[in-house]
Amino acid sequence: MNPPLLQIEDLRTHFFTDDGVVRAVDGVSLELGARETLAVVGESGSGKSVTALSMLRLVPEPPGRIVGGRILFAGRDLVGLSGDAMRKIRGKEISMIFQEPMTSLNPVYSCGEQIIEAVVLHEKVDRARARQRAIEMLGLVGIPVPEQRVDEYPHQMSGGMRQRVMIAMALACRPSILIADEPTTALDVTIQAQILELLKRLQRELGMAVLLITHDLGVVAETADRVAVMYAGQIVEYCDTAAAFRRTLHPYTAGLLASLPRLGAKREALRVIPGNVPNPARFPQGCRFHPRCPIVQDRCRAHEPPMLTFDGAHRSRCWRADEIAAGAIDPAGPAQGAARG
Amino acid sequence: MAEPLLEVRDLRKYFPIRKGLLSRTVGHVKAVDGVSFTVQAGEVLGLVGGSGCGKATTGRCILRLIEPTSGSVRFAGREVTTLPRKELRQLRREMQIVFQDPYSSLNPRLTVGSMLSEALAIHRLARGEKARERVAELLRLVGLHPDHARRYPHEFSGGQRQRIGVARALAVSPRLIVADEPVSALDVSIQAQIINLLRDLQRRMKLTYLFVAHDLSVVEHISDRVAVMYLGKIAELADSEVLYREPRHPYTLSLLSAIPVPDPTRRRSRIVLKGDVPSPAQPPTGCRFHPRCFMAREICAREEPVLRQVSPGHWTACHFAEQVEAPAGSV
Repeated sequence: MNPPLLQIEDLRTHFFTDDGVVRAVDGVSLELGARETLAVVGESGSGKSVTALSMLRLVPEPPGRIVGGRILFAGRDLVGLSGDAMRKIRGKEISMIFQEPMTSLNPVYSCGEQIIEAVVLHEKVDRARARQRAIEMLGLVGIPVPEQRVDEYPHQMSGGMRQRVMIAMALACRPSILIADEPTTALDVTIQAQILELLKRLQRELGMAVLLITHDLGVVAETADRVAVMYAGQIVEYCDTAAAFRRTLHPYTAGLLASLPRLGAKREALRVIPGNVPNPARFPQGCRFHPRCPIVQDRCRAHEPPMLTFDGAHRSRCWRADEIAAGAIDPAGPAQGAARG
Repeated sequence: MAEPLLEVRDLRKYFPIRKGLLSRTVGHVKAVDGVSFTVQAGEVLGLVGGSGCGKATTGRCILRLIEPTSGSVRFAGREVTTLPRKELRQLRREMQIVFQDPYSSLNPRLTVGSMLSEALAIHRLARGEKARERVAELLRLVGLHPDHARRYPHEFSGGQRQRIGVARALAVSPRLIVADEPVSALDVSIQAQIINLLRDLQRRMKLTYLFVAHDLSVVEHISDRVAVMYLGKIAELADSEVLYREPRHPYTLSLLSAIPVPDPTRRRSRIVLKGDVPSPAQPPTGCRFHPRCFMAREICAREEPVLRQVSPGHWTACHFAEQVEAPAGSV
């Protein structure tokens, strides 16, 4: 990989609530290379969205606060940056799109106006030029007759079209990084396919890096170069996408993969990960996955495992990753009989 | 074949669009527009489609949680749509629903135990000690502990709440359960637990399900037969395996190809449909799918295809069902 465009080192973002300290992100390290797609996958409360919000310094303070770590981008640490300096990066160098385009677009401005505002703010061009850019961008994201639709309001558009407008807005200033937080979760599967194809094409044409946050392993398999699997505020596995699916070194990833219903597969009982997604205010002692792990041992209950690296690039936070790597044990655990859940 | 437990014929639900001071009706959203199918006792029928296709409205019309505009729903030989309120309440004991969001569908002020006992009391099934025993049995049945009866819904995780939702539906020993997106709000690692639970209960108690969901892989996994809906109508209906193996409707084919597969080594050809889902207030002429269809010809804009049988038990509404295949040059 080229020198990373963005590097996160031991990031800790905690929330200080009446219920106690929520360690939403608790020691996350990752790198994003130029033109690369990195998927961050996890369930609710895993810390994937808070990681992304931390990168843009959009974590609400209070109750949240980045309590440790560094986010290195273009030679600077974003963690210590002033609000003013951060505003120059946000939307210009690093942009973000969200799951619900309707709630992230302003309903009282036309779609074009919202793009124009961003361009004028960041690029010191006049409104006529900015409007031209808005029309170009809307065309680029596949909105038909963009010179007309530039004056339409978000409510006049369908969900898929709104997500395209969001993408146009995010990319209008040609950022080097696009953070996409569950960009297709609210959309129909046929529209999701359109948006994923669009993101792939734009990435090729504009050459940005994409940090894709998702819970859908199918989306990961089809779009990402590398994947970071998060569980309970930490990355538990970090590797090439192909490696994660072919020979995962973590029992959580293995459990997720085994529990998915697959089209055309035999209709047997699905394998399950027992138990519940942990409450972020009360993560378990030791390995945070241990209460649900099929290959748990005593040391997993007592001590938190370190991140170990295999084959130079495949990282796993599991005490038994070496045994898994050697093929001595199945990370999904022994075959389940009549699984009851 | 025996008489089906549920028979839906030409079901329609039109929601009026009102405008202006006098709330004049200016049009209708044809959410369900002539849907017919049957479900045998002990069978699981999956109902799948995108948002706004009418699958959830269909489920609710069957239980009359929404009053249908026209059409017939027969349950165990009785017409449901014309049943007086009182008899409908009795019939509801045999037809229950499990909702998508287990939190908003559970009363936050009742303990799980009182919620379940209430259902038993309303239908005069059990009281007092008997009811307590039955509640404990129900909780065990869905994989919870009898002690959980003393707790409130907010004390449970999403997956546990959905187990409570299932227990409440089962409390009155129904024959039919309409499961309305029962796993879509749950985390990935919890979905498999609930799918297994529903499947296990269905087999052990010989339940009949109408399983409504947008996720074709989930529906295919649990259903014996699957109906695919598009804009208020059934586009295709077939045995689960047949539908997956030999789809005979271009919409089904594109749905199947659009699902991201969790296997990076499998590079498939993908059909990316053009355009958006049209509004059910102004469905396209002819075949409702024709503006997005990669196979559309002139007749499709003009003439609405009827749902016809292309092989035993395999129904499809496409003029060119015999020629359905992925277009050349799909991505």
